[in-house]
Amino acid sequence: MNKEPIITLSHVTKRIGRTTLIDDLTFEVPQGEIFGFLGPNGAGKTTTIRMIVGLMSITKGQILIKGKNIKTEFEQAIRNVGAIVESPEMYKYLSGYHNLVHYARMVPGVTKERIDEVVSLVKLENRIHDKVKKYSLGMRQRLGVAQALLHRPSLLILDEPTNGLDPAGIRELRDYLRHLTRTEGITVIVSSHLLSEMELMCDRVAILQRGKLVNIMPVQHFTRENEHVQTYRIQAQPTEQALAAVRHMDSVHEVKLAKEGTVEVTTERERIPDILAELIQNHIRIYGVEMVCQSLEDRFLEITGVEQIG
Amino acid sequence: MVNLVLNENMKIYRRVRTWILVGLMAAFVLFVNIIEWHSDGKKAQGEGWRQELQLKNKQWREILKQPNLGDDDRKFYQEQIALNDYHLEQNIRSTDGTMWDGVNSSANMMILITIFTIIIVGDSVAGEFSSCTIKLLLIRPASRVKILLSKYISFLLFGMLLLLTLFVISVLVNGILYGFGYMDLPMVSMNADGQIVEKNMILNLWKTYMLNGVSTVMYITMAFMISSAFRSSAMAIGFSIGALFAGNIVMGALHRFDWSKYLLFANTDLTQYLAGHPFQEGMTLSFSIVVLAVYFLVFNLISWLIFTLRDVAA
Repeated sequence: MNKEPIITLSHVTKRIGRTTLIDDLTFEVPQGEIFGFLGPNGAGKTTTIRMIVGLMSITKGQILIKGKNIKTEFEQAIRNVGAIVESPEMYKYLSGYHNLVHYARMVPGVTKERIDEVVSLVKLENRIHDKVKKYSLGMRQRLGVAQALLHRPSLLILDEPTNGLDPAGIRELRDYLRHLTRTEGITVIVSSHLLSEMELMCDRVAILQRGKLVNIMPVQHFTRENEHVQTYRIQAQPTEQALAAVRHMDSVHEVKLAKEGTVEVTTERERIPDILAELIQNHIRIYGVEMVCQSLEDRFLEITGVEQIG
Repeated sequence: MVNLVLNENMKIYRRVRTWILVGLMAAFVLFVNIIEWHSDGKKAQGEGWRQELQLKNKQWREILKQPNLGDDDRKFYQEQIALNDYHLEQNIRSTDGTMWDGVNSSANMMILITIFTIIIVGDSVAGEFSSCTIKLLLIRPASRVKILLSKYISFLLFGMLLLLTLFVISVLVNGILYGFGYMDLPMVSMNADGQIVEKNMILNLWKTYMLNGVSTVMYITMAFMISSAFRSSAMAIGFSIGALFAGNIVMGALHRFDWSKYLLFANTDLTQYLAGHPFQEGMTLSFSIVVLAVYFLVFNLISWLIFTLRDVAA
């Protein structure tokens, strides 16, 4: 996949007074990718997003969206962007439909048909002519998605999109984002401090901490960095004998007692049947075997140290 | 740009509060005119105007005999007597007892237009910030300058709507109360050279509207500046209405200083030149227009700079 990047940030820095909010951020996102911003609160996720959409000025460096500089060619650059910055605040005294008409008027070429299309996309047909103040949070969120997609952007930016959504809503949003990237080739940037969410949603994740980019990596790399060496949890009795039996075996990197009745073995996948055979030979009773996935959360804590999350 | 103005208009007119303000405007005009008609307009109807003018002239001649009368007052009464005499000689009835009396005095209610427009203006930029809708507004392919300008235009349109309400309601209610007669009655007044002239009543009315409108525009611009600079509706509305009322008091206190003629409030009322009594000696209409233009530009420049350069962080 050697596609043109939709968005390029180079040496982006944001300073307010003497405080450096964002320090020398450089990365690019290719077309069709779901790119995640991950970081504890105050790491600079929202600040970065605000700079991308032109709500905040950039102290140093530049941001190009489809080759257009957001600072000097704002109107051409922002045309390609649909966004929800934090919660999507709509005009509460207007109906959902009029809110969409409002935003449609601001971009050339958005027809009435397109508005109807987007409304049915987010399944608001029945309530679209009600005033927004009568909407539930989930409906407001959906209207937010509708306004962001109205002008068929090539880049969709969602700041904390799952805030206030129930699990069903989150799942729906996730499936929908996947659908958009596949069918329309939309590029998505999401920010979140919910690690599990990012794990399910994103292709690549950038970790921010105190305004600095700590790492960018594909999500798979977070969870299965060493594909074959994994930690397995074996529930076996008596535990002491199990520990002793496994310890001396080949290719076993680490053995430890997780808790009473459970042994944690770090080894290659291929060795598991042998280990189990060895245990059975030693008359040890096995109740269960499971793979311990190192989650994004563990990875995240590892990378950022013991920083408070979310 | 047209679309942006349509958007701003939608945000103004699809709110109940806007129509409450328009309704209040209409109600005030109705109320004041009916009260006026009830208390003294009724008896001046018909051909009673001759006696009334003669009576007034007689009273004023008595006043003029007082030795300690000030120069300004003396001049005022002399002019009024001359005007009344002109009415009687030319057989042009005075506006008393016609619809024009009420219509002309309703022009004083333009201050309500200023207040109501300030309420809409003060809340426009600041309101978008406090409800956070500004975020979604500014991430569209429309520069901040265009958005600011479209808001400004929508306020001027709203002011004009109120002015039209004032005009239509005052003509209708006075027409119904006094009868739609004397449509071509001329406006008899004295020009700056002391010559008595006849003017078209409607033209003169709109001239008054326009001159008062200048002050409305200045206050709108000021409220707009405060609204976009401090992002607080309460501050923009409070300060602007406060200035509207306190301005004259402050100017009275500062009258003895020569530099006070450069202050905004000394120049907002352009009708002072119609009557020929400027705030300070030596002030002319063109002087005031220049001063107002400078304030206008400075206010707009400040709104523009702050609105376009500041980060949207909240």
